[in-house]
Amino acid sequence: MNLFRFRTIQSNIAAALAFLIVIMAVVMGFIAYRLSTSAVQRTAQEFTAELIKQVNANIQSYVNNMENTSLLVLNNRGVRNYLSGESDDDASVTDFLKTIMLSRKDIASIGVFGYNGRFVSDGGIGNMNPNVSVPDQSWYRQAREGQGKVVISPSHVQPVFDDYRWVVSLSREVRNADNSRGLGILLVDLNFSVINDILSGIELGKRGYVFIVDQGGRIVYHPQQQLLYSNLKQEKIDEALALGSGSFISDEGGQSRIYTVQDSGFGWKIVGVSYVNELVNNKGQMQTSFVTLGGISLVVALLLSFLLSRNLSRPIHQMQKHMSEVEKGNFDIQVPVDSTREIGMLARAFNLMVVRIRELMAQVVKEQEFKRKSELNALQAQINPHFLYNTLDSIVWMAENNKSAEVVRMTSALARLFRASISKGSELVPIRNEIEHISNYLTIQKMRYRDKLDFHIDADDGIKHFLTLKVLLQPLVENAIYHGIKNKYGTGVIRISGEREGETIVLRVCDNGVGMDEEKRKTLLTPGASPAEGRGVGLINVHERIQLYFGAAYGLSIVSAPDEGTTVVVKLPAVDKSGKEGES
Amino acid sequence: MAGRSETKKLLAIVLAVVAITLAGGYGMAALRGDHPGRPPEVTVVIKSKSQSMEFWQVLTEGVYVAAKEFGVNAKVVGPQRETDVDVQIDILKQVIREKPDAILLAATDYNRIVPLAEEIDEAGIPLMTVDSGVNSDIPRSFIATDNVEAGKKAGSKLAELVEGPAKVAVISYVKETATQIERERGVREILEADERFDIVGTYYSDGDENIAYETTKELLRKHPDLAGVVGLNEPSSVGAGRAIKDMGRRGEVKLVGFDSSIDEVRLLEEGIIQATVVQRPFNMGYLSIKTAVDLMAGKKVPAVIDTGSLVVTKSNMYEDENQQLLFPFN
Repeated sequence: MNLFRFRTIQSNIAAALAFLIVIMAVVMGFIAYRLSTSAVQRTAQEFTAELIKQVNANIQSYVNNMENTSLLVLNNRGVRNYLSGESDDDASVTDFLKTIMLSRKDIASIGVFGYNGRFVSDGGIGNMNPNVSVPDQSWYRQAREGQGKVVISPSHVQPVFDDYRWVVSLSREVRNADNSRGLGILLVDLNFSVINDILSGIELGKRGYVFIVDQGGRIVYHPQQQLLYSNLKQEKIDEALALGSGSFISDEGGQSRIYTVQDSGFGWKIVGVSYVNELVNNKGQMQTSFVTLGGISLVVALLLSFLLSRNLSRPIHQMQKHMSEVEKGNFDIQVPVDSTREIGMLARAFNLMVVRIRELMAQVVKEQEFKRKSELNALQAQINPHFLYNTLDSIVWMAENNKSAEVVRMTSALARLFRASISKGSELVPIRNEIEHISNYLTIQKMRYRDKLDFHIDADDGIKHFLTLKVLLQPLVENAIYHGIKNKYGTGVIRISGEREGETIVLRVCDNGVGMDEEKRKTLLTPGASPAEGRGVGLINVHERIQLYFGAAYGLSIVSAPDEGTTVVVKLPAVDKSGKEGES
Repeated sequence: MAGRSETKKLLAIVLAVVAITLAGGYGMAALRGDHPGRPPEVTVVIKSKSQSMEFWQVLTEGVYVAAKEFGVNAKVVGPQRETDVDVQIDILKQVIREKPDAILLAATDYNRIVPLAEEIDEAGIPLMTVDSGVNSDIPRSFIATDNVEAGKKAGSKLAELVEGPAKVAVISYVKETATQIERERGVREILEADERFDIVGTYYSDGDENIAYETTKELLRKHPDLAGVVGLNEPSSVGAGRAIKDMGRRGEVKLVGFDSSIDEVRLLEEGIIQATVVQRPFNMGYLSIKTAVDLMAGKKVPAVIDTGSLVVTKSNMYEDENQQLLFPFN
């Protein structure tokens, strides 16, 4: 993607950082949000469970009260006697029931209905509904079947008494003293309003509610009972029944509900229903704050990454600026060394490099200068006025003695000598040319010195095409003549030989002159240590020229001993015209 | 310089990311249905606030249950008596000044409330009618019992109870009231189609139990062979029932009533009223708020919503489904 490709380091670093930060912020935010959401949800769920438990305890206590009341009646001898027909004192039973009722505001009515048709209630017989058949009531039938077991009804309208109250009925069979047969049915009605008051007062979020079902799935209480009956709403009654106690979440998307079920122990299940999206009451608020916080930290982090990347790339930028200065040729600069380790090291190395380049350039300049000087020297050596004068003097002397043939020889040798040295201005010449040059030179000298000088030139033909410096041998030969042979008694012989040794060309100039001692030999090739008489000036010049052109591996070396002659060894690389290496 | 444009590009990407993140967060919050801001205000103007008017009490309960569920601030107002048309007009004027987000109206008069409906419309407040409509196209929806259907149910029940051929009568309440006209139409549609029956007439009680009582007595004297009566509302049914009881005609004259009350329940248990057609005021109240919520959310709502009716007899009156309709707990 071209969009995310940057050319500068700064942009790259900033983009990478920004990308990382965005990912981190999103992931962390999401995790934090999920964690806190589930934490809030868990707390809310626990709270609901606790609340439902409380409700259950309340309802349980009412039911227990009913049961206690029923026991009170069951164990009353007067009630049993009246039902069994042993006594006709219905007034005392009514008074007994009335007394119980006085202490219990939550109980709507108490009635005892004998199988023999006798009945009595706390209100006597006056409040009975004549149009309702008591034995047809479900609480009556179930209690009769139960044979003494407690039966608790769902909430219903009690039609037996003519005030049509909503009640929860507890009914059980009254049995005779030895528990051998049933005498009738005892009914204790709990005012349903007490349960209604408990349940309708419960707040489970804004929309949550509590409902109760009995074990048969009949609704005991539901705030939206009518909506359920007319199918405007569905309730997860079966799921709640299947669950003993605990909770589950209905999967209804945004309207998902958490059902917290509590088994009451007497057949009812109390179910708290709360809406998931509401449990986390301030979910939206939480989301907003998370997003806002994330946004702010994002902006701050991005700014930081921008600044950081700029700080990182600034020294690089600076260095690049200095480098472009160097590119332009300005070597007189130093990059300020940055405190950052890597960049600082780079700057130091760069500074060193610039210094080194500066030094090398100075050296090159110096060497060039020296080269030119040494060439000049070589040129001077070639046209040494002394030599010319002496040669011409010899020619004049020979001419005066009518030795015309010798005059011709010498003159032509002189002419060839000069022609050989005029080699198209090039500094390097084939060894062949140099040999020819030196033989001309020696021919002239030999004619001058006659018996005092003889020479032999013996170079391999195989090396003649290799290159050498111009006028290389002449100073060496000159040296051999003037300092070795001239002071010698008898004939001096100069031998010039050349051969190849591997990649090296070795030329030797060998004389049998006076030679020199070791001390003197050592000083010969040491610059600045040359003796005043001038011997060695030519040698050093040649030595340095060779080293300048071909490197320190090449040059002159001298082997000598007093009265034994001197050998100057020239080492040159084997370079011919095709492989022009070493020519700078 | 390249660096500068690159910085701009970087900045643009960063801003885009931030914007996308923020938009995503808010979008998610919006999708989840978190509505920031105040809950909508809905005012329900009913026909009677009287504690004794069970129908309106239960309807109000339905309103509040729905309001809680849908997160609506519901307010229920109305005159003390159903006949206080002028009081309701004054109340409506006050409500318009308060400018709620929606008004639900149970009109005390089919025609006289029309100008108020127009005023509500001009104020830009959506209007829906509940139980009793107005003679206007302004209301967006009418949430009520289908009274023609309820009347048909009453007629069918009577046709089932009376073997015939027989004379039958209708005891109605206020003439020219929309609900009574519809109920009577329903009853007549069934009975007139049945050749066994001869409808001796429709008599008006003006919603007064005593007038119904006297009228029925008179009717029974005039037509000793009358075999069936339909009472079109609670006082009419109870009055007719008392007359049948007092004339000693229990069981001989079959009576199908409307609505319910303790008196009516007693008559039902005594076997004087054989059946009563009950409405579902709780559902009416609940559905009216639900419809208002839908309307405010910009959804299309049906022009008429039938909240249904039910025939209750002595044999099924204590069934779970019915006892709450007959005996609302208060």
